Amino acid sequence: MEAKVQQNQTQIKKQSSESSLKHLISFGWMILLTAVAFAAVALNIVPQNLVIPLILALAVVQVFLQLFTFMHLDFKKHRLTVMFMFTGIGIGVICAVALWILV
Amino acid sequence: MATIVTIIVFILFLGAILTGGYNKELMARFRSHWLWDWITTVDHKKIGILYALGGGFFFIFGGIEALLMRMQLFYPNNDFIVGRTFNELLSMHGTTMIFFVAMPLLFALMNVAVPLQIGARDVAFPFLNALGFWLFFAGGLLMNLSWLFGNAPDAGWTNYVPIAANEYSAGTGIDYYVLGLQISGIGTLIGGINFLVTIINMRAPGMSFLRMPLFTWTSFVASALILFGFPPLTAGLFLIMFERLFGANFFDVAAGGNPIIWQHLFWIFGHPEVYIVILPAFGVMSEVISTFSKKRLFGYTSMVFATILIGFLGFMVWAHHMFTVGMGPVANSIFAIATMAIAVPTGIKVFNWLFTMWGGKIRFTTAMLYAVGFIPTFVMGGVTGVMLASPPADYQYHDSYFVVAHFHYVLIGGTVFGVLAGLYYWWPKMFGYTLNEKIGKWNFWLFFIGFHMTFFIQHFIGLFGMPRRVFTYQPEDGLTLINQISTYGAFLMAVASILLVVNIVYSYRHRVPAGNDPWDGRTLEWTISSPAPFYNFAQLPRVRALDAFWHEKMNGRKEMEPAEPLGPIHMPNDTHLPFVMTLGFFVSGLGFVFRSNEVGVLGLIIVILTMFVRSFEKDHGYHVETDEIEKTEKGANA
Repeated sequence: MEAKVQQNQTQIKKQSSESSLKHLISFGWMILLTAVAFAAVALNIVPQNLVIPLILALAVVQVFLQLFTFMHLDFKKHRLTVMFMFTGIGIGVICAVALWILV
Repeated sequence: MATIVTIIVFILFLGAILTGGYNKELMARFRSHWLWDWITTVDHKKIGILYALGGGFFFIFGGIEALLMRMQLFYPNNDFIVGRTFNELLSMHGTTMIFFVAMPLLFALMNVAVPLQIGARDVAFPFLNALGFWLFFAGGLLMNLSWLFGNAPDAGWTNYVPIAANEYSAGTGIDYYVLGLQISGIGTLIGGINFLVTIINMRAPGMSFLRMPLFTWTSFVASALILFGFPPLTAGLFLIMFERLFGANFFDVAAGGNPIIWQHLFWIFGHPEVYIVILPAFGVMSEVISTFSKKRLFGYTSMVFATILIGFLGFMVWAHHMFTVGMGPVANSIFAIATMAIAVPTGIKVFNWLFTMWGGKIRFTTAMLYAVGFIPTFVMGGVTGVMLASPPADYQYHDSYFVVAHFHYVLIGGTVFGVLAGLYYWWPKMFGYTLNEKIGKWNFWLFFIGFHMTFFIQHFIGLFGMPRRVFTYQPEDGLTLINQISTYGAFLMAVASILLVVNIVYSYRHRVPAGNDPWDGRTLEWTISSPAPFYNFAQLPRVRALDAFWHEKMNGRKEMEPAEPLGPIHMPNDTHLPFVMTLGFFVSGLGFVFRSNEVGVLGLIIVILTMFVRSFEKDHGYHVETDEIEKTEKGANA
């Protein structure tokens, strides 16, 4: 019994050290993505009309990184959560597109 | 502002003196007071009662506003209430009735019934539940304070810019609308998320999604609509707040803004909002009709499907409120077709209710009368809805009393009838005694006749050309008689509402214990004592079928089979933090209304401090021990 508990604990430790490495890497990625966004605005490297689309694209990448690493999103485990998220995104996109066309 | 501070300090002093001065026993005195119990409660049943009281409180205001307007319209060229005051009345009537009457009354029913129907001991986040209620109440109070401190909002419940901009609505009226709705909107959003999480995670063992009672289903979909629908309103209110308070130019055409943005944002929220207030009412009707027809709900699966479909389509039709804005024929046609499509799932529901009653053993209790009266009334509202959905026709109906008649048919004939049916149906579960049926029937018939008298004729007032939101008409318009009939109807409804209060008082005085199951119910809430014990279920029930309790009854059992052994029950502690946090929001809102940013920020600091305290508070709740549960259960059954 005790051995089993210990085994469990080591397993948890192993998992947490693995995920902490993963966290550090994605943290680095996020800082990089944010830095690129800032640089794109501040340093005039990209053409003016591409700045906003570029920032939006970087933001989308970052949202997904956040969801999977820090918020532990798992498509199989959290089906309802994913469904609600995509419904929200879908409604948001429809409304945004409609506003873009109509206003 | 200085006067208010002086008054508050004075009241505090007076309170301190009257309660025995500043001493150690002061807090103990507070804590032992019954009011403290209600302020700090996190029990979903008590919060449900608080929601009902709050909704009823604002219903008095909204109702008086309506009566005053109808009195002004009794005679042509009347000068009882004219101009801006009339605009304030109509704006406050609409806003109050939607946000501070319909929503809280439905939240009351959801709080009372949903956790019991799914066999849960409480909602998922009891703290947030209390916070949601107090925020709603603070928002409503803030908005209604506008009557006392200067002018009320006067730009309609839709608050269209530019008439809601500083330029056209001087004073602080609209600020009360913006900040009051912002605060109560936070509360509603919190409540919606809470119910989503509760229904997803806390169903009793064996209760799959397709075994949930229909009221739980409609509450679930309505909560999802709250989740997706309220953020656009929040965004819109922020824009208008910055425009009015801090000189932003989102809607000012001269500065490159566009007033149409507000209309879109408002209706992207506003259309789901009307489904938020009708869907739970549909759920109540399904429960009531099924129970009092002694039949399983006809086409349960199609009902669930129709509910979800209505919820989804509700997001795709907002622009039908804006046909005359000039979006062009293509956009108008798309939104017209989407709107008419909603008639299909709604029709499915109507036919299912009829088929549920068909061949059933119908008992016409007051709740059932409201449900039966609801069907033709709501169908009439739906038919005028399809008429309005056609853009060429809408150009004629637009801004006339026809529209007023239409939405009162769906909102009163749907939501209010639903709420009243729900109150009569669940009253024994809330308080342990039934409402008097005789006065109840008087209440129903007076309300039903008064309602149709008021609003049926308004279709024709509209078709004869009277525009809505206008405070008078001329004798030669030929509108005098029909306006007077409408006013008589409104007073009949007022009498019926007073009868409801009479009924509540009378039934309380002559109360007899209703027992666990006064209506021969079908769902889990009727398996426990009335009123429900604070922990709801001593043992969580095992659910084997849709209409779980009925299934057990049909198999010869008197109660549910437990899904777990009797054990200690984990309960949350009462907390005063939601109230304090709300106080912070209220002070902040009042500060911004009075254009005093210091007070506004002070309120927000109180909010943040309370959040901080909450975050670092180690409150794991307490356990109800087995012997206490046994004692309570014995006491309830004796």
